[in-house]
Amino acid sequence: MDLIERIDRWSQLAPDRVAHISGDQLLNYRELISRSNALAAHLTQTLPNDHSPVAVLGHKEPEMLIGFLGAVKSGHPYIPLDTSLPSQRVETIIETAKASLLLTPEKIQSLIKEKNASKVEIRRPALENAWYIIFTSGSTGEPKGVVITRGCLESFVDWILGEQNFAEAKETFLNQAPFSFDLSVMDLYSSLASGGTLFSLTKDQISEPKLLYQTLAESNVSVWVSTPSFARLCLAEPTFNEKMIPTARKFWFCGETLAPEVASGLLNRFPKAEVWNTYGPTEATVATTSIRIDQDVLARYNPLPVGRAKPDSEVKILVDGNPAPVGERGEIVIAGKNVSIGYIHRPDLTSRAFYEVNGMRAYRTGDAGHYQDGFLFFDGRMDFQIKLHGYRIEIGDVEANLQALTIVQDAVVIPAMKNGQADHLAAFVILKARPSGSDFQITRGLKRELSERLPDYMIPRKFIFLEGFPMTTNGKADRRKLAEMLQ
Amino acid sequence: MPVKETVLKELENITGTDEVRKNLDLDLFGEKVLDSLGTVELILALSEDFSIEVTPGQIDRELWATPRKIIDYFQERVKQP
Repeated sequence: MDLIERIDRWSQLAPDRVAHISGDQLLNYRELISRSNALAAHLTQTLPNDHSPVAVLGHKEPEMLIGFLGAVKSGHPYIPLDTSLPSQRVETIIETAKASLLLTPEKIQSLIKEKNASKVEIRRPALENAWYIIFTSGSTGEPKGVVITRGCLESFVDWILGEQNFAEAKETFLNQAPFSFDLSVMDLYSSLASGGTLFSLTKDQISEPKLLYQTLAESNVSVWVSTPSFARLCLAEPTFNEKMIPTARKFWFCGETLAPEVASGLLNRFPKAEVWNTYGPTEATVATTSIRIDQDVLARYNPLPVGRAKPDSEVKILVDGNPAPVGERGEIVIAGKNVSIGYIHRPDLTSRAFYEVNGMRAYRTGDAGHYQDGFLFFDGRMDFQIKLHGYRIEIGDVEANLQALTIVQDAVVIPAMKNGQADHLAAFVILKARPSGSDFQITRGLKRELSERLPDYMIPRKFIFLEGFPMTTNGKADRRKLAEMLQ
Repeated sequence: MPVKETVLKELENITGTDEVRKNLDLDLFGEKVLDSLGTVELILALSEDFSIEVTPGQIDRELWATPRKIIDYFQERVKQP
């Protein structure tokens, strides 16, 4: 059974089961499948000999799921875009991907109204064809699109369904991340493939803590999928425990380092639940390794391991291209069916990061890691990429966009650290000519301009204006000295 | 340390701007100087500073919309036995 069949069968087996909840909007499996078929029929008719990507822009509306499946069933990969992305970035993504169409929830509603879905011919993608394309931060200021094929996604879904033992047509999965962030693939396809209910938290629900806890208390979530940062935020509320969410039985993390105190906090507050840690870059389809974190693992390791590789993938530690001895730190390289075929329309970037090993696609992650006791440990980045509250950010991307602003002569961005993790970004800025107004007013202007180019999570919290940067002996801005200025 | 100074010190530290001190009616959320993570961080810090239990689930965003409102909130809370 391929992934489309796996999802579509729920319209027969459990047609009235709710597939998606987002705010006050509900969508059941009958509606999801018939409407995605209607959209596929429309796309097949209007774009007959075309397999170009279709962009789907929204914020967790049920129509986004219809858009994703409708695109895939008509032979088009989809590009999930969240409305929190600035319009300039959306335009760049659409141009880079050469997307043929931009679908919004309103557009999808109007297209499916016009279409009778009874006679749809599904043009399911071949294993090597793209299913979705997710854009991530690129070091030069241009986002890059990671192409995930049907084979990649099915490799991931087969693994998690086998490992996690979800109860079919019974689970409710928490969707915290926007669909433009590949963490959401974990909850979206776990849910759809197992006949689950996807419970999306909207940005309005997340932005106010009081409303967030009320929403969680009414969610009936059984499988929690989020970044560890989000769980940390929730743990700040003392009533966040098994009484608030009695249905919670699994906490499943990806996107950034899981701190031991977050895992132990959850095990204490939800004693009957399991906590799982996973690791993997977008280029290897969400996650490649996993481990259940119990009291024994917590007692033995700090930092926590990220686990073992899924059965059909290999995770190696290489130093200068050679396998590192056990315990020695090196670059994490992932090989297997879950590895992307590369960055869309960027053969230059693709050839730098991807290669073949023993007939398998392999990806150089740029992450440092080591093995101990058979477990992989993540040891941070080897370059200027960071994870901030689960979001992957190339520091160079923020700097390039900041440097492009008219009043900025030069800019260096430094992650401010707290408890060993990036807490926020600080920008050190040299202005061409100082405009009138206080530092705050200039900061406000820069943040506003930057918000037209970058999503909110990439905008530095602090701006420090300098006449010049401290320099290294090589004549580069001394990032270490700048970081010291933040302490 | 007086309540006002303690609140402003923590706010300045978390938001990274002294504007919170200069403009007590600054719209913290509208001006994007405080987000939900920052709010929770502030709640935890002030709860510890004043040794009173304030939890994220008790706080309406409107009550914490400006530095002045946060100062007023804690001035009321510390008076309570």
